[in-house]
Amino acid sequence: MRRLLHAILLGLVGAGMVHIVVLLLVPEFSERDAWSRLSMASDLYKITRLDAEAGGAPVVKSVDPLFYATACRFDLTDGMVRVNAPGNVPFWSVSVYDRSGHNIYSFNDHTATGRVLDAVVLTPAQMIEVRKDLPEDLQGAIFVEAPIDEGIFVIRSFVPDESWKPIVSRFLDQSSCELQDF
Amino acid sequence: MLKNAFLMLVTLALAIGGGGGSVWYALKIQDGVGAIRIGQWTAFPDIGTPAADPYSKARVAREGVLALGRAEGLSFVAERDTAGEQLKRECAYKIEGGFPTARFWTLYAADQSLGVIQTTKPRLAALQSYQVLRQPDNSVIISVSKRPSPGNWLLSDGFGRMYFVLTFYDTPIASSTGLSDVTLPLITKVGCDA
Repeated sequence: MRRLLHAILLGLVGAGMVHIVVLLLVPEFSERDAWSRLSMASDLYKITRLDAEAGGAPVVKSVDPLFYATACRFDLTDGMVRVNAPGNVPFWSVSVYDRSGHNIYSFNDHTATGRVLDAVVLTPAQMIEVRKDLPEDLQGAIFVEAPIDEGIFVIRSFVPDESWKPIVSRFLDQSSCELQDF
Repeated sequence: MLKNAFLMLVTLALAIGGGGGSVWYALKIQDGVGAIRIGQWTAFPDIGTPAADPYSKARVAREGVLALGRAEGLSFVAERDTAGEQLKRECAYKIEGGFPTARFWTLYAADQSLGVIQTTKPRLAALQSYQVLRQPDNSVIISVSKRPSPGNWLLSDGFGRMYFVLTFYDTPIASSTGLSDVTLPLITKVGCDA
């Protein structure tokens, strides 16, 4: 009997340890995180719609029904990435996430010059290089310095009512996400 | 010999089963560490940031969430009315009160997964601040019901549990200091369909 109690006690202590280990390992090994879901849907540097409006089930749970969203995955070891979106919409906001889906930087249309979405994501090392000689066409861009390799860039845009749907859709579909040569 | 093997098996089963099961349970429940409560509304300002606790991090990874950033907005979720009862899709509610400063806000009725509820009607079960009618004191009264109602009407339909999700966009309350003296609207039950 005492040995059984001993075994149970040992089991409970073990359960505590397994709990901590499993909890810390879930983010490492999850195949259902945003990055994995996006990589199943499309390639790096490909703009992907996150909402169900584009047809089919939404790739990543995009929460607000009054919003449309797109995402693109990038890898800063290939070089810096530039994101552009033309057009005028009531509200847009941008978030940069790291590989495990943590929001590391966000801004909205009030931050941008003339409310135009033009952003460059780059590592601090690349930033030093760019600062030395800033190209003409990057002068109005928002620079997001992110100490990461792989990441996700998400654009969200507000759809106040039915009539804005085509305009916001066009805004997101015409956005581009590409490697910037420097 | 056989007894020893049995005891070892008990220990291992308890450790692995208990450890794994408790993580699964902790991630499943809606409530969690790092929540901020204002009336009936709950927000997780830290979710999806590198500063989040391990439970939020695991939940983000498991559900594939891409949480709103601080410059984007902050979401509040309500699962109970002022009487402390769970919100139900077959009931009518009134959401009434002032809203904190934000460029705009959206409100929608959600199901368990916090996606908007699917109704059989073309109208979306969502409202936003540019389209609502306001009282003289700038507060808002919203009727949540299956049937159309005058003023601001949020459609709800079907049966089962319901959540309200209220999101403020481009708001100063998303920064942690702003959350201390925020008041959010009250949710009161009006009646239920039997």
